[in-house]
Amino acid sequence: MAGAGIVWLALLGPVIALLANLSWSAIVSSLTAPGALDPLVVSVESGLVTLGVLVVFCTPLAWMLARGKLPFPRVWETGVLCSLLLPPLVIGLLLVFMVGPYTTIGGLLADLHQSATNTFLALVIAEVYESAPYYVLGAQAAFASVEPRLEQQAGLLGDRPRRVFRRVTLPLAAPGLAMSLSIAWARAMGAFGAVIIIAYHPMGIPLQIYTTLQETGLPSALPYALVLLVVALPLPLAAYIWSARAGRRRRG
Amino acid sequence: MLDADVEVDRREFTVRVALQVAPGERLALFGPSGAGKTTLLEVIAGLVPPRRGHIELGGRVLTSTAPPVRAVPPWQRRVGLLRQDPGLFPHLSVRDNLCYAPSATPSDAELSSLASLLGIGNLLAAMPARLSGGQAHRVALGRLLLAHCDALLLDEPYTGLDASLRRTLTNQVGFLVSERSVPAILVAHELADAQAFADRLAVLDRGELLQVGAPDEVVLRPASRRVAELVGYLGFVPSEHMVAGVHPERVIPGSFADRGLVLTGTVTASRPAGAGWEADLRVGDAPVTCRLPDRPPASGRDLVVTVLDPPYFGSDGALNRLEAHLES
Repeated sequence: MAGAGIVWLALLGPVIALLANLSWSAIVSSLTAPGALDPLVVSVESGLVTLGVLVVFCTPLAWMLARGKLPFPRVWETGVLCSLLLPPLVIGLLLVFMVGPYTTIGGLLADLHQSATNTFLALVIAEVYESAPYYVLGAQAAFASVEPRLEQQAGLLGDRPRRVFRRVTLPLAAPGLAMSLSIAWARAMGAFGAVIIIAYHPMGIPLQIYTTLQETGLPSALPYALVLLVVALPLPLAAYIWSARAGRRRRG
Repeated sequence: MLDADVEVDRREFTVRVALQVAPGERLALFGPSGAGKTTLLEVIAGLVPPRRGHIELGGRVLTSTAPPVRAVPPWQRRVGLLRQDPGLFPHLSVRDNLCYAPSATPSDAELSSLASLLGIGNLLAAMPARLSGGQAHRVALGRLLLAHCDALLLDEPYTGLDASLRRTLTNQVGFLVSERSVPAILVAHELADAQAFADRLAVLDRGELLQVGAPDEVVLRPASRRVAELVGYLGFVPSEHMVAGVHPERVIPGSFADRGLVLTGTVTASRPAGAGWEADLRVGDAPVTCRLPDRPPASGRDLVVTVLDPPYFGSDGALNRLEAHLES
């Protein structure tokens, strides 16, 4: 118990330091400046779009990985791990080679009057690349925890595969999926390394903290860190509470 | 009618089985672990594709590897499978588990009546995690019954439950199968479970059906020495160019030549067994185990016993049909 408390306090150290070094006047002056809250809106919007992209595109991949539906599964998993292991800054640099204005994809986007550098699209791309591996691996584990025999039983009782997914797989994997999604959300909201390379604008909160730090110093930057915390926390917290309730309900 | 004629390749052997089960009939599939019993059920349920085969249920072709090729998916087969793990959905209440199947739309009265019959009437609001093993199995059985399956496959469903509960559940299933007039197959590796359930007993070993018949016929007249070994014969004593099978429970102390084969053996060991005793004898070179009502003589002493109406096997291991015919 005491050990757990010490570790918990140690983990909370930066947050405690943040609160200890914040003054009310600094918060007011930083956050009441014209356009001060624009980065917050950008971060939330891009984070939500990123979550949407992850849910739509990465959930089926995670399910297929968990259920061994893909040939050479280790190759697929290694691919996901590679994107996890690359430092975000390097991912950003490599994204320039992948979707930058002088690439094939960049050219195609230009034809559509879009760009994957310094745009909202670029910000979402950077956030997706920084958060997707966390979601895929977490969702894979969530799906893998669903006993295949339950899905088989649902099928034998007359449910088609899609219905089995909706009535059995998804509800049973949901707490794990929610946790993975909240981790991905935290990664997306805090994305910095890849973002600074391909999406300096529009500016989200992490970049706002960085530029404020450079331009006016730490006291002015800290309020934005508090904002990031306050805005990013509710979703993971809700996921925790909901997972715990689902577990309690199952235990009767 | 469930009519299955299938061949399925397994790593060590091929499961080759042809059997028919009439509506309301209860067939027990008995055999050692790894004989291919579960594989056969999974093929009938559509979970494992056979290399060759034809399966029909109530006139519907479920599987056919010959043209016109057909493989009805599991969710369209209307075949219920109950395994050792009841497979209740942990996120749904007992009521929601019972009514899970799309075809299960019971009225409240029907649901309560079935729940009462199965002894789970007061558990409808409970979550599966709160149920005991026996209760969970009853819910799983009720779920299958409400799904209105055309056939019931029971894969050692009550392994791990105590004997009296196993017998109660087996009787309940037997009653419900007869009432609903669906064919049912029970996989069992305990002979007593198979006998308690079945109208017919099928003995499967290494993928081959060795014998199908009435439970007492299979036990008293095993078609081969291998079947005899599987149904519990523990001694084989040479007798006039043949071998007599000795089932421990078909032995009585004393000499009664008109009731069977009289043996004189030397007691090598004995131990209490149930309400009586079990003794190991040596008859010539053959070891024989028998159950006796009273304590046998001490080791090294002779004991005369009569093996009641034993089956005789020829040198090829097959039941001596002439002997069996003359006896009958």
